[in-house]
Amino acid sequence: MLPLFEKARRLRLTETEKTILAYFEAHPAAVVHMNLSDLCAQLYTSNATIVRFCQKLELSGFNDFKYQLRSELRDSRAAAFYADEYISHSIARFQDTIAALDIPLLEEIARLLTSGRPLYIYGTNLSALPARYLQIALNSLDYPSILIEWGDLLNGLVRNMDSRAVLLVITARGRGERYLEPFRSAKARGLTTVLLTSERRSPLIPCSTITVCTNDLQEYYQRTDVNPRIGLFTVIQILIELTAQRKREAAETAEMPETTEAADS
Amino acid sequence: MITLNLNDQVIKSLSRPELDILKYAYENTEALLTMTIQELAGAVSYSSATILRFCKKLGYSGFAEFKYALRAELRRTGPEISVQSGHQFTTGMLIDTISSNIQATSKLIREEQLNQTFRYLDSGCPIYLWSPGGLASVAVEYFEKLLLSIGRQEVYFVESVRMFEHILRSRTGPCLLILISTSGKYPTTIRLGKIAQVNNIPILSITPYANNEVAELADVNFRFFSNERENLGAEFTSRLPVFFVINTIIQCYLRYKEPSPADGEGGGYAAFI
Repeated sequence: MLPLFEKARRLRLTETEKTILAYFEAHPAAVVHMNLSDLCAQLYTSNATIVRFCQKLELSGFNDFKYQLRSELRDSRAAAFYADEYISHSIARFQDTIAALDIPLLEEIARLLTSGRPLYIYGTNLSALPARYLQIALNSLDYPSILIEWGDLLNGLVRNMDSRAVLLVITARGRGERYLEPFRSAKARGLTTVLLTSERRSPLIPCSTITVCTNDLQEYYQRTDVNPRIGLFTVIQILIELTAQRKREAAETAEMPETTEAADS
Repeated sequence: MITLNLNDQVIKSLSRPELDILKYAYENTEALLTMTIQELAGAVSYSSATILRFCKKLGYSGFAEFKYALRAELRRTGPEISVQSGHQFTTGMLIDTISSNIQATSKLIREEQLNQTFRYLDSGCPIYLWSPGGLASVAVEYFEKLLLSIGRQEVYFVESVRMFEHILRSRTGPCLLILISTSGKYPTTIRLGKIAQVNNIPILSITPYANNEVAELADVNFRFFSNERENLGAEFTSRLPVFFVINTIIQCYLRYKEPSPADGEGGGYAAFI
């Protein structure tokens, strides 16, 4: 039984109050959605009687009673896990990602994405999804890029890319054994590399021109990578918004001279 | 975190203006507590009557009780950590928008929706995901890959409409259809949902917070907040809230299956910081 009702049962109640309690016990879920006048109509009693009943329970009134009942109903649900708890944690993690953002650095990346230089975006396995997400969104914004989802293709392409090229690599685990070689070739050839990773100790960091590191957990399920990459997606979303903003600004400045000319004439 | 008294039925009953008020309440909880109903009406540009109707639909007797519940929830959970309000005005604003959409989305996820989803996942029935292409398909594939990564068998990602219609029409045993729609209005997605409904195939959908046809067809519907964006017909509406919802489903499912994280070699779920 809910603690609120147990407490009520221990009190000395009038007959009317007993009827009120019986009604509450029978319909706890409905009561939290009712207002005082509906309840009075239902119980053929007055507002004051119900409020007095609530006050006997040391609550300030019916609103307070409903609030208490609602929290007890929520707490009493036998759940093996608590979704709310997980959601609070993931929101806190998301806020940490936001708080740790280096805005000028992201703006610099957005400048590279919109610079008109050849742009390659790489990601494989689960990281192929944030890579593809960025590539499609940039396409929508009229900044075309080449998406690479195969490690071997990256190795081959990096040797032949134009030296003005920008290579953006998304790798949650930042694995050196796989990517150190292409990163070294890119560096030797003077390419601009942008590394998005959630591995702070990645050996790729010293080889990349710009690194953005997120706080995604390296999670595994039966040795399969299930790192959710929400931090990486967040950074990418911000890059997309910054790119859209740059596009808008570029369009506005392009319109400016015409307006000045019009004013001159 | 403020959790208002919301479920999908309540959200379905809310009109567009009422949904705007809900979003405002999530994003400005603390400011709202000091407002009168007229002040809130001014802030959201709707009438006091609309606000009252909104409060009643959420199960409160009026604005005062709504504020009372908000205040009590805020006391229970502590004030929200305010997000970075950028030093550069516009960049700060865009980050705030992303952040408030995620936070508001997280508040719409209910445990009963998750439990209902877990029943489908536990049942072992085939799961069909419809991918409409473009940015939307990245979110669909994210769901598919994560389901497969956590060991769920029989997850099928289908890109061809005609193939999908064929599957829906010819299936005999139980299965689940997953539809993700950023607008909730895409005709092909709606048509597939209708075919599934006629064939008694349950639908799990992830759709925007506003009322939409895809959500109407679904048996379990997760909702998210996002601002529609496009560049001369090419859309780039943020799917970040959709990724957030999918990840929440997956991570909660892992915790539901194995409440205490297993360690060691045979390993179930494990996280390393």
